Amino acid sequence: MSVAEEPLGLPDYLPSHLGVRREPGPAGELRLLVAPLAFLRTSRMLRDAGARFVTLLLADTPEPSLLGVFALRGDLVVLRAPMQDGSISFGSLGASWPAARWAERELVERHGVRAIGMPPARALTAPDPDALDPQVHGLDIFSLPYGPVRSGIFEAIQFLIETGGEDIPRLETRLFFKHRGLEARVAGLRPQQAVHVVERIAGIASVAYACAFSQAVERALGIEVPRRAECWRAVHSELERIASHLDVIAKEAETTALSVGQARFQILKEQTMRLRARLAGNRFGRGVVTPGGVRCDGGIGVGGLLAELDALERDLRRDRRMFLGTSSMVDRLFGGGRLGRALVEEYGAVGPLARGSGVSTDARHERPYGDYRRLGLRVVTMRDGDAMARVNVRFGELSESLRILRQSLDQLATHDGKLRVKMAGRSSGAAFGWSEAPQGELVIWVEIRDELIHRMHVASPSLRNWALFDHAFPKDVLTDFAFIEHSFGLTPAGADR
Amino acid sequence: MLEWIARGLSKGRVTTRYPARAEQGPPGYRGSVEVVESAGADSIGSSAGAELPGALATVCPTGAISVDGGDVRLDRARCILCGDCVRAAPDWFEFSERYETAARSRAGLIVRGMHGDEEVEPERRALGEQVRALKRSIHVRHIDCGSDGAEEWEIQALWNPFYDIQRLGFFLTAAPRHADVLLVTGGVTGPMRAPLERTWDVMPEPKALVAVGTDACSGGLAAAGGLVAGGVGEVLDVDVYVPGSPPAPIAIMHGLLLAVGLLREERRA
Repeated sequence: MSVAEEPLGLPDYLPSHLGVRREPGPAGELRLLVAPLAFLRTSRMLRDAGARFVTLLLADTPEPSLLGVFALRGDLVVLRAPMQDGSISFGSLGASWPAARWAERELVERHGVRAIGMPPARALTAPDPDALDPQVHGLDIFSLPYGPVRSGIFEAIQFLIETGGEDIPRLETRLFFKHRGLEARVAGLRPQQAVHVVERIAGIASVAYACAFSQAVERALGIEVPRRAECWRAVHSELERIASHLDVIAKEAETTALSVGQARFQILKEQTMRLRARLAGNRFGRGVVTPGGVRCDGGIGVGGLLAELDALERDLRRDRRMFLGTSSMVDRLFGGGRLGRALVEEYGAVGPLARGSGVSTDARHERPYGDYRRLGLRVVTMRDGDAMARVNVRFGELSESLRILRQSLDQLATHDGKLRVKMAGRSSGAAFGWSEAPQGELVIWVEIRDELIHRMHVASPSLRNWALFDHAFPKDVLTDFAFIEHSFGLTPAGADR
Repeated sequence: MLEWIARGLSKGRVTTRYPARAEQGPPGYRGSVEVVESAGADSIGSSAGAELPGALATVCPTGAISVDGGDVRLDRARCILCGDCVRAAPDWFEFSERYETAARSRAGLIVRGMHGDEEVEPERRALGEQVRALKRSIHVRHIDCGSDGAEEWEIQALWNPFYDIQRLGFFLTAAPRHADVLLVTGGVTGPMRAPLERTWDVMPEPKALVAVGTDACSGGLAAAGGLVAGGVGEVLDVDVYVPGSPPAPIAIMHGLLLAVGLLREERRA
C-alpha cells in the first residue's frame, strides 16, 4: 500500500486524456477527482476502456461528493465529483448505460440530486402493489401481478407479468417492498455493533456482508487482521456459498417435481446448515466475523471438519451425477432464460449469473481479499447463458468451495495465534470493502468519524442482477417462470436493504 | 427413476422425533439468552456488583435488557442473539442451546433473573396430543413483511426430510382463504402493511397468527430506522411469538404447535 508523492500517476490502461486528478487511497482503490460537468464524459471513457459499473452514491468524506464506482482490471475506480451547497447536477449515466439505471434512479429519488437527461420511469423506490399500468396491448393480453404476497414461502417482491397465457412479452420486476433503511441505521454506531445490522441486510449472505463491511472498516482505519482470522472468514464464507448453491439446486428439483432429488439436496443443505451451527453457534454464521478479526474459533476442530467435508463431497458427487443424468430435470433447464453475454455485460451483472453467460467476474479473483490472496481459486464459467448453465456454474463452484475449504483448513492447522486485533488504528477514515457473496460481488462503502460509523452504502449483487430478470424471457413461457427465477438465486432483502 | 428411489431409501430415516422427543441445539448453539438466576442475588450484596446492573441496559443494541433496581429483565422479542451482553457480563447472561422459546403473549417473552422463568406454556407432549385432535390437517400460509430472508429459509426447512412437518399434519397452502395459520416474517415495512391486512382479512375463522423472528416480534434492529413498524403486533393481534434472529426450524415448529393449541380452544368454544 505505497502512496506515492504528488503528483500521483495514473495506470497506463486508463485513457491519457481522462481529465482527472488522482487522490490518495487504500490499495485497490483508484480515487479520481473530476468536475461535476465532466462526470458523464469520464464515466463513458471508463466504459470504453472496459470498466464494469458498480454503483453510484453520495459520500461525505473528504467533502460532500458524488461517487461513481467502476471495476476495471483488478482495481475499483472511484470517480469523485464534489457537490456544491449540498446539491449536484450531472449528466445521466443511466440514459445510455443500463447498468447505472437503477442505482441512479435510487439516488435521484432518495437524495434529490439531479441527473440531467434521465429517462422518465415509474418510481423505483416507492412500489405500489396495485398499480398495473399495462404497456402491451393486444388481443387476450392481460396483466398478472405476481406478488408481493407470493404462493409458497418466498420473500416479498412483485413481478408484473404481461402475457397472453403462454409467452411473456413484458415483465417488470418491482423491488423495495422490503426497504428497511438499514444503511442509515448504522450511523452513529461503533463498527463492532454496526456489524450486527449489516449481517441482517441479507440474512442468507450474512457472512459475506459481515466480511465486506469489516474489510471496509479495516481498510479505512488501517488495521491488519491476523492470519488465523482471515482463514476462518474464508471457511465461513465458503460454507455459506455451499448452503446457498444447494438451496438453488434443491428448488430447481422441487420445481420439476423430482421429489427424491429435492429431498437429497435439501438433506445436503440441512447438513451444511447444521455444520455451520456447530462451527459458529448460528445456522447462518452470524456473530463470528467482526471488524478486527473474528470473535471465536470454530466449535469443531480441523480434523472433524475435514471428515464432514469428505462425507458431504461423497454424497454431493453422486447426487450431482444423478441430477445431471435425469432428463426430465435437465430438459426443463436447458435453453431456459437465456441471457447473452453482451446483455450481461451491458447490465454489469455479477456472480453465478454473469459466470453462466461466460463473463469471468468474481471478486475473490479480481481483487483478492483476506485469505483469497493465498488460495488458488478457479473461476467457473459456462458459455450458454441459460438456466442450465447457471446451475452448472453452481455445481462447479460447490466442488471449488470444497477445495478452497480444504486449503483454508490446512492453513488453520499451521497458524496459531490471535483471532482479532484491537481497533487501534486511525479514528477516522473512509474506504470500500468487498467480498463475493453467493449471489455475486458485494461492495460496501464505509465512512468512520471518531470511531463511529458516519455513513454506509451497500452495492448489493441482488439489486444489480435483478434488472436482467426483465430480459430473461425471450423465448420462454409462463410455466418456465419458476425455473428461471430460482436459477437467478437472488434475495430481495439484499436488494431492498 | 429407479436409481433415485434406491438413493432415497439408502439414506434411512433422518427425520426428527420432535415433539415426541425433546431436541436442543448442538453444543455452543446460540438458541436463546438466559438471565443467570444466581447472579442477581449474589451481586446485590457486594458493592462491586451493585453498580453493574445500570450499565447492563446500555450493552444491548436493541434495548432488550432493562434494569429495575436489582431486577434484570430480558425481552426475548427484542433479542437478536448477538451475544454482546454475554460477552460484556458473563455473570448475568448466558447462552442456552434450547429451541423452545416461543410464547403466546408478549409478556411471556420477558425473562427475569430474580423471579425465575415462569412456565406458562403447555408442555411439549401436550402439544403432540393437540395435533392429533385436529385430525392432522392444518393449512399454513406465509407472508413476508420485511424479513432479512433467513426466516424464509428456516420456514422452508420445516418441509425438508429432517423436520418433515407434514408428518404432524401441517400443509402449505397457496391461498389465504384456505389457511388456518398465517406465518408473518419481518417487522412490517410501509408497502407491506396493506397486503398483510388484506391477507389476514380473507382468512376464515378460527385462525391464528404467528410472528416468526425477532423482526416480526418487535421490529428488531430495523425498527429504530423508522421505516419498519415495531413488529406485526402494531398492525394485527399476534397469537404466538417465535423470537430468534432467525429462529431455528424446531423453534418455529414449536410456535406452530402452540398456535394449533389456540385453534383447538377456539373451535371448542
